[in-house]
Amino acid sequence: MTKRIVRMALLTAVALIIFIVEAQIPVPVPIPGIKLGLANIITVYAMFRLGPKDTLAILLCRVFLGSVFSGQMTTLIYSLAGGLLCYASMLIMRRIVTENQVWVCSVIGAVCHNIGQIAAAMLIAQTAGLIIYLPVLMLSGVIAGLFTGLCAQFLLKRMKKL
Amino acid sequence: MLKTRTWIIIIAAAAVVLAALTAVTLNLKRDSAVVEVVQDGTVIRQIDLNAVAREYSFDVFWRDGGVNTVTVRPGRICVSHADCPDLVCVNRGWLSTEVTPIVCMPHRLVIRAAGATELDAVSE
Repeated sequence: MTKRIVRMALLTAVALIIFIVEAQIPVPVPIPGIKLGLANIITVYAMFRLGPKDTLAILLCRVFLGSVFSGQMTTLIYSLAGGLLCYASMLIMRRIVTENQVWVCSVIGAVCHNIGQIAAAMLIAQTAGLIIYLPVLMLSGVIAGLFTGLCAQFLLKRMKKL
Repeated sequence: MLKTRTWIIIIAAAAVVLAALTAVTLNLKRDSAVVEVVQDGTVIRQIDLNAVAREYSFDVFWRDGGVNTVTVRPGRICVSHADCPDLVCVNRGWLSTEVTPIVCMPHRLVIRAAGATELDAVSE
């Protein structure tokens, strides 16, 4: 039990650091909601190594603490909507992919994250027109999800002992 | 269990479709040049960009003290300055008849096509 909590705390800390460092890097594309989402590496890793319950705890802690530390409480709702939809989709995907297809799970998760995020933005801004950004956000989700998914897959293979 | 090759094909095909849709959506234009400045779902200003004679600016304040400076010129509008962390709204640049709205999510500010939503403008 202690070992489990320590492991979750460690992963949360790592995810949080990745999240905060990434937030300092300016995004080259002027489209709302696009980012690499490197903290997703930890979510995917935890999903396959620790299981759904622990992953949810890590994800929620990272999202809440992340918005506290980056001073952006207004963006919490978008992260939360995206994060939870991403989590739900990965919950399904983890059952239908093999250990060499972890990246697929990550791609689907990232695309769902962006769908959830823009849905929240449309509700809050009451602007249905924001959906115009959906294709470009989903495309960025595919690319970002592929990258973070491959990172997570390598991590899973190299760190079997942890 | 699908083969990895099948997954690659599915995801690559999806990426191609999305790229095509992206190219279309980001280049859509509309006829009207009337825009509205919306904060947190409330329209606070409506501007006909074609009726603008000379340049002017105004500030939009957010409840946490944040501010976006909106600049209007004949035929176009932009967020010229903001103190939000990501500056997506400023980097977006000028908006004239494009369908894609200017968005500042941290300050819940949207500058969008007025009246009919952008979706209606697309379907016309």
